[in-house]
Amino acid sequence: MTQLFDALLAVGIVGVAVAALFANDRFAAVGAFMVMGFLVALSWVRLGAPDVALAEAAIGAGLTGALLLRSARRLRVEPKMCQSRWSVAASGLISIGFAGLLYAAITSVPTVPAYPPLVAERLGESGVSNPVTAVLLNFRAWDTLLEIAVLFVALVLVIVVPVSRVRPAPLGEMVVPFAKVVVPLSVLISGHLLWQGADAPGGAFQAGAVLAGGGLALVLAGAMRLKKPLQGGILRATALSGLAVFGAAAVATAALTGHLLGYPDGQAKIWILGIEAVLTLAIAATLVLLFHGSVRRVPK
Amino acid sequence: MTSETMYILAGVLLAALAMHRLCTARDALARILALNVLSVGIAMLMLLAGRVAGVTDAVPQAFVLTGIVVLVAVTAALLSLAERISGGDDD
Repeated sequence: MTQLFDALLAVGIVGVAVAALFANDRFAAVGAFMVMGFLVALSWVRLGAPDVALAEAAIGAGLTGALLLRSARRLRVEPKMCQSRWSVAASGLISIGFAGLLYAAITSVPTVPAYPPLVAERLGESGVSNPVTAVLLNFRAWDTLLEIAVLFVALVLVIVVPVSRVRPAPLGEMVVPFAKVVVPLSVLISGHLLWQGADAPGGAFQAGAVLAGGGLALVLAGAMRLKKPLQGGILRATALSGLAVFGAAAVATAALTGHLLGYPDGQAKIWILGIEAVLTLAIAATLVLLFHGSVRRVPK
Repeated sequence: MTSETMYILAGVLLAALAMHRLCTARDALARILALNVLSVGIAMLMLLAGRVAGVTDAVPQAFVLTGIVVLVAVTAALLSLAERISGGDDD
């Protein structure tokens, strides 16, 4: 029975992906892409990876979908160039070869992976009981610091490249009541995800993405005006605080224990929660700013 | 065919179809969308590579989570560059 479900889900994912990749209409393509993200998230729940599934649903499907929809109207539609038949055939051949290589690689992975015993052995001293959070914020915290640096670089790029900003069209009378429900809910869910990330699926990234969803509702409802210096400034400062605080924590732990991001004995949970709390706000602010774009006007 | 094999095939197909689209599409939005689909396919394969006896390894899960966040940053950066090239002329 579950196998039938998995089969239907796998076929559904591929079908919706084909619609997303080959649809002629942009809005249909982005819609199909978002549906694909939710179906993939469902399949990752089936594969026992709920942390990743939450992130894919909130960031991969939700926020990326919002970004693509935003740009779908702004980007000029390229005239459909008649591709030469040879280049299409060559690309098809490359893709088939790529698929074969991927399949060969994935089926030749050794059946006894190296990491799970190592993670299980050290989970007790990581300060949290969710192994994914332990890897992200303790064992491989360095990777996560660099990931926040990537978000920072993307934010700087989006801020310095002036494009026309999001100007929400009047959305009708229902948008404010909608925001009144959605925004407090997003704050609640985000806090819940942040707190429970220590021992259940969740964490700073999922919490930040949900909070960013609430922030987008505020921007689209016209309640958050980022071109006002105060509101925009607070949001930018919050976005930058992520890298600043995480970097400061790395330096502080290096001074205390001699290891970069090696937390002092017995205090790992406090450090992790503190960093995650700041990261949640910073990620939410960064994602809202990435959607909103530069606050400067396009020079004429 | 086990559930894992079906999801492996789905991941391979996503990656290959997206690759084909990435090579042939002219439209910037279609290319960026194809890049996203490609990365979802690869993420699916990474999760399955770390799956043994019904348990998914936490380390690839953390990698995929990092990848999802990096991808949304890359997508936002690419879209803003594409809009700049395209002129952003709706003012």
